[in-house]
Amino acid sequence: MTNQLKPPKRKKINWAPYLLIVPSFVYLLVFFAWPMVQSLILTVREDDVLLRVREDPTQTSPGIGSLERGVSVEILDQQANVISEDDLSEPGLITEVWYEVQVTDETGTMVAGWASEQRFRVRETDEDGKPIMATVRPIIGVDADPLTPIYSEPSTAGEIIAELNAQTPVDILSQRTLEIWFQISGEVDAKLITGWVQSRYIRTFPESTEGRIDRGDTGHLTFKYIRRMFNDRFFWPAFKTTLLLMVIIIPIQFILAIIMALVVQAKIKGSSIFLGIFSIALGVSDLAVGIVWYAIFTHYGYLNSILQGLGLISAPITYLSADTRHWIIIAIVLAEVWRATSLVMVIIVSGMQSISQDVLEAAEVFGATLWQRVTHVILPLLKPSLQVALILRTILALQVFAVVMAIGGGDVVTVLARETYRQYYDLRNFNMAAAFSSFILILSMIISVFYLRAVRTEQEASG
Amino acid sequence: MSRKHDVQQPKAEVAPEVMAIHLKMKRRQKLGRGMIYLAAIVLSLWVLIPIIFITSMALTTPEMVRAYPKSILPFIPFSLDTLRFFLGSYGILDGIINSVIVAAITIVLSTLIAAPAGYALSRYIFRGRDVFRLSILAVRAFPIVVLSIPLAVAFLNLGIYDNVFSLGLMHTALVLPTAILVLSSVFASIPYELEEAAMVLGCSPVQAFRHVVVPLVLPGIAASAIFSFVLSWNEVFAASILTIQNRTLPAQVLATLSYSPDPYKFAGSFFMLIPAVIFIFIIRRYLFNMWGQVTK
Repeated sequence: MTNQLKPPKRKKINWAPYLLIVPSFVYLLVFFAWPMVQSLILTVREDDVLLRVREDPTQTSPGIGSLERGVSVEILDQQANVISEDDLSEPGLITEVWYEVQVTDETGTMVAGWASEQRFRVRETDEDGKPIMATVRPIIGVDADPLTPIYSEPSTAGEIIAELNAQTPVDILSQRTLEIWFQISGEVDAKLITGWVQSRYIRTFPESTEGRIDRGDTGHLTFKYIRRMFNDRFFWPAFKTTLLLMVIIIPIQFILAIIMALVVQAKIKGSSIFLGIFSIALGVSDLAVGIVWYAIFTHYGYLNSILQGLGLISAPITYLSADTRHWIIIAIVLAEVWRATSLVMVIIVSGMQSISQDVLEAAEVFGATLWQRVTHVILPLLKPSLQVALILRTILALQVFAVVMAIGGGDVVTVLARETYRQYYDLRNFNMAAAFSSFILILSMIISVFYLRAVRTEQEASG
Repeated sequence: MSRKHDVQQPKAEVAPEVMAIHLKMKRRQKLGRGMIYLAAIVLSLWVLIPIIFITSMALTTPEMVRAYPKSILPFIPFSLDTLRFFLGSYGILDGIINSVIVAAITIVLSTLIAAPAGYALSRYIFRGRDVFRLSILAVRAFPIVVLSIPLAVAFLNLGIYDNVFSLGLMHTALVLPTAILVLSSVFASIPYELEEAAMVLGCSPVQAFRHVVVPLVLPGIAASAIFSFVLSWNEVFAASILTIQNRTLPAQVLATLSYSPDPYKFAGSFFMLIPAVIFIFIIRRYLFNMWGQVTK
């Protein structure tokens, strides 16, 4: 009924189909290909771990070395520097506001320049509260230079164009937020380097010239996360359990699904009703199914109720506890079989519908038993469907998650997806979470390639 | 068909050996039939009993949910208290609203994006068609777990983290492969000849599509939309990773799972289960068609 009717192949290249698939293609690229690559990058890249130390306090100044995150540094000097508007929301900024002021100096010429707001006492503001007039603050201290320098640009790197006495009145033209740069010296590989860095990367301590590098500005490749993943105490249990579940669940699912498909295809009365019942589980949420089987296996659950009702036990048995790991696994297996067998069945039934009835009847007429028909006629003809179902089920089995959480709580029995969730959600370690998810990705790829290779060699062998 | 005839004809004058074989086959057929019914009933019970369990737990009083041993007879006493308790719990109503919003975004976006691709796959033969179909199938199987983490980091950086709309974008990606395959099978079930006939009669290709194909595919598009809804409604991993405040229903249930009482869990399970089961039951035919196309 769903036979595909294709128009005859055209000679000229028809661009219409390409235009039609472009949106999906782009969307899948952005939401599948890109995250996959990102996941791998997050796994092997440590961001913000090295801080470049520069010769001069400017972004363009050449780096003279890098200090690692966490290194203690001595703050030798500081100066204010221009910061771009976009950077104003960066965390950890230490800023200073500078005023552009206009003043008539001793020689009577008008000069306009920049100085820190700390150097002025604001005398007048406009209706918005913006300062418009100020006087230069006196500098207190014996050694201090009594003159306040005015710079040609909003930075101490600028040229000094005037020096003002205390109490000189100035007009304020505009103001700007500047970032403080620190001149620091810190140790790398037992060698002291001294240079300039932006204050946002440094955590300073009050009343001290000591500081610590809070974060870096560049990342580097690292195998730290991969190593940590393999050494994680949950990794091997999770990996083993995931594989164990896969190996137990998939064969049971396929046998059950094939039986279901045979029942549906047997053309007994009510087979459409049975098909309807069997496909109920197609749309169920894994979390909901996990809870359903939790209801059956929990201490005061249905299984104990039934067993006690039949007089087989006198007190409820505890199934889902740390001491009864095997029962948790059994419950997970049953839940997964219950939930996902219908998907396999649908694929097999649609495959069976494309098997010619004549072939099946011929086999029956020639006296083949049901078993013979299944093994010699139906299964070989179903091969493409079975392969698709197998790849799909295997990869989906690597992602089993909510069922495990609902039945076992996710600690006694853990799986790879649960560990990804733990790293992200409980421990907030994105890189480790990415390491786990990349591990799942690579496993899925290996399995797919393995299956596809198997299919291809078979096809080659058969000509 | 003709072979069946050949078998039945010898009935007129039967040699005893043939008769014996015939009877044997008939007996075996009867036995086989009985076995099939048995298998069908056992498997149906296997599917139905857990649903009956959770339904009767959700539709009774919280006291009955905690009682032991539980009555195997369902709905005694029938009460909406457990369900009401669940719906009144913190975050559940918001979760339902969020789930519906996310699902709605998913339906609209996935249909808009998938329909042209489904049409292209079903109507045109083009270079790269098989590769595209295969990659869709591969993507369909791809781990949500793998996508969630980098997308969460990206959403954080872009400032659209913990947002139902960004979750909708993610769910669209999730349902897109299936939507494309379902829609492609829907378009394929409409003979191209109809379109051709319309064009012969003077329609432009766009008009032919608009007046002939669209009315015929609307039920199929509805089915694909329902399927998208169910996938989004059920999805829990990405929803838990990508939201904190604006949780969807499954994410909310999962987040509170370890410390919530049984009546809450059971009612939650029931509430998540039922719409999906009903919807999928309505559109199951389309899913069979889709897989028939894919595995061909």
